[in-house]
Amino acid sequence: MKLRRPILWLLLGLVVAASVILSMPGASSTRQDREATLAAASANHPAGTDALGRDRLARVAAAFLLSLAGAMVASALTTAAAAGVGTLAAFGRPSMGWGLMVVCDVFLALPWMFLLMMVRSALPLTTSPARSAAITFLVLAALGWPASARAVYRGAMQLRTSDWMLYARAAGLNSAGIVRHVIPNLLHLLLPQFLISIPAFVMAEANLGALGLGVGEPLPSWGGMLFELNNSPMLAETRWVYFPVILLVVVLLLLEGVAAEA
Amino acid sequence: MKPAISAFRWIARTLIIVLLVILGSTVLVRFAPGYLSDAREMDSRYAVAARSELSAEAARSRSLPQMLLAEIKDPIRGEFGTSRQFAVPVSELIEPRLAVSGLLLARGIGLAWMIALCAALLSSAGRNPSMLRQAPATLLLAIPTAALATFCLLADCGGPVLVMALLLAARDFKFLDRALRAAWLEPHVLQARAQGVRTGRLLAAHILPSLAPQLGALASLSIVTSLSALVPVEVLFNVPGVGSLAWNAALNRDLPVLLAVMIVMALAVTCSGMATPYAAEWKQA
Repeated sequence: MKLRRPILWLLLGLVVAASVILSMPGASSTRQDREATLAAASANHPAGTDALGRDRLARVAAAFLLSLAGAMVASALTTAAAAGVGTLAAFGRPSMGWGLMVVCDVFLALPWMFLLMMVRSALPLTTSPARSAAITFLVLAALGWPASARAVYRGAMQLRTSDWMLYARAAGLNSAGIVRHVIPNLLHLLLPQFLISIPAFVMAEANLGALGLGVGEPLPSWGGMLFELNNSPMLAETRWVYFPVILLVVVLLLLEGVAAEA
Repeated sequence: MKPAISAFRWIARTLIIVLLVILGSTVLVRFAPGYLSDAREMDSRYAVAARSELSAEAARSRSLPQMLLAEIKDPIRGEFGTSRQFAVPVSELIEPRLAVSGLLLARGIGLAWMIALCAALLSSAGRNPSMLRQAPATLLLAIPTAALATFCLLADCGGPVLVMALLLAARDFKFLDRALRAAWLEPHVLQARAQGVRTGRLLAAHILPSLAPQLGALASLSIVTSLSALVPVEVLFNVPGVGSLAWNAALNRDLPVLLAVMIVMALAVTCSGMATPYAAEWKQA
C-alpha cells in the first residue's frame, strides 16, 4: 500500500499545528502559572498544565518541533558522514578501507546507550538547556553513522566493480569524477538511511531524557515529559500527563511509516 | 589448521577492538569539557575532598600517553581502578551486578525468541503479509523503552524480563516473518510440501537450517539491542545490574566505572558476533 503521501501530509499538518500553537498570543512553553499547577484541560490550557503550571500543549508542540528538527539535522549529518566514510573506504586504498571499517566495528561494538551516557556525563555541570539540546543531537549524529557507513560501503563496493565504473576508470576518470558519479548512484541507499535515522534519534532522545541525561530543563523535550510519568501523585491528579506519550508514539509511527515506504 | 587460524583472527580482532575502545573512551573522557568537575563540588560538606581528588586526577592526566598506558595496564591486570563515587575497586562493583544483568538478558532474550518465533511461524503460514498481523510489532517498536517500562510499572503487570522480551520480540518478529515467508516459497520447499512432507519435518530439515546464518546474525543483534535497552529497564525497575550502575556512574561522573562498563560491553558485543560464522557452518554441514 502506498501510504507515504498521506503520512507525509499528516506529519506536515502536525508541524503546522505545532507552529500555530506556539505562535498564538500568550503561548509559552516555559512560563509558569503558579495558580494553576496540574490543572485539567480548560480554555486557557487545552491540555492542562504540568507540576510547575506550564501549559502542556505548548510544551508538547515545542518538544515535537525541537525533537523533529534536531533529529533531522542529526540524521543529515549521520548520512553525510556515512556517505563520506563508505565511499572513501570503498574507493580509497585497501589499507584505508580496512582501517575505516575497523573504526566502524569499534563504534558498533558499543551499545549506543552506554556511549551516549558516557559522553553526556562528561559535559560540564553548567551546560545551558539550549546547548544540552544541541549537544544531545550532535552526539547522536556522531554515534549513529557507523551502521549507515557499512551499508554505503557495501553499495559503493558493488559500484566499484560494476562494468561502467571499470570502463570509466580505464578511460582515466579521476577521483573527483568518480565521487561525482558515485554519490548520485548511492542515493537509493542514502535516502532510506536518512529516513530510518530520524525516528531512531527521536526515540534515543526520549529514552535519554527519561533517564535525566537528555535535553536540560526548562527546555521541553519528549524525554522530559516521559519523566513526569514517574510521579505517581501527578498521575492520580490528571490523566493529561499521558498526552505527550501518546503523541510521541503517533509521531514515531508516522516517521517509521515514512521510512518503511522509502 | 583452518579453525586455528580463524580462532586466532577472531581473538586478534576482539583484542584490537577492545584496545581501541579503551583508547577511544579514555581520550573522549579526558578531553570532555566536564572531565575535571565533580557534582560533589556543589555540596560544601564534600567540596574540599572532591577538589583535592580532582587536583590529583589533573596531575595524573597531565600526560595523555602515560594516562593511556595506565588505562591499558589496569584491565590487563584485571583491575579497573577505584570508583570515584563509592571509593571501592570497580571490579568489586561490577562482578555481582554482571550476574544480575546476565540473568535478566538471558531470560529476556529467551522469552523474546520464543514469542517472535511462534508469532512468525503463525504469521508466515498466511498467504500475504497482513497489516493486522504486523500491527502489534509495529506499535511496540514505536514505544520508547522507558515509556513501555513506565506503563508496565503503572499498570502493575509484567516486570523487566517482559519489557525486554516485548521490545526484542517486536524487532525479531519483523525479521523472522520476512525470512520465513521467503523460505516457505523456496522451490525445493514447495516441492516437498506438494509431496506431503510434514510441516515439522520441513521446518527441522529445510527451513531452519537454511535460515541459520540469518538467525545467527539476529542472535548477535538481539544481544546488542538488549544491552541498549538494559539501562532504562534496570533503572526504572530498580534492578541492581550493570545498567543501573552505569546510569548512576553517569549521573555522578564516576568515569572509572563507566570506562570499565564500556570494556565489558565491548567484549560482550564482540563475543556475541561469534554466533554468525558457526551458524553459517551449520548451514553448510
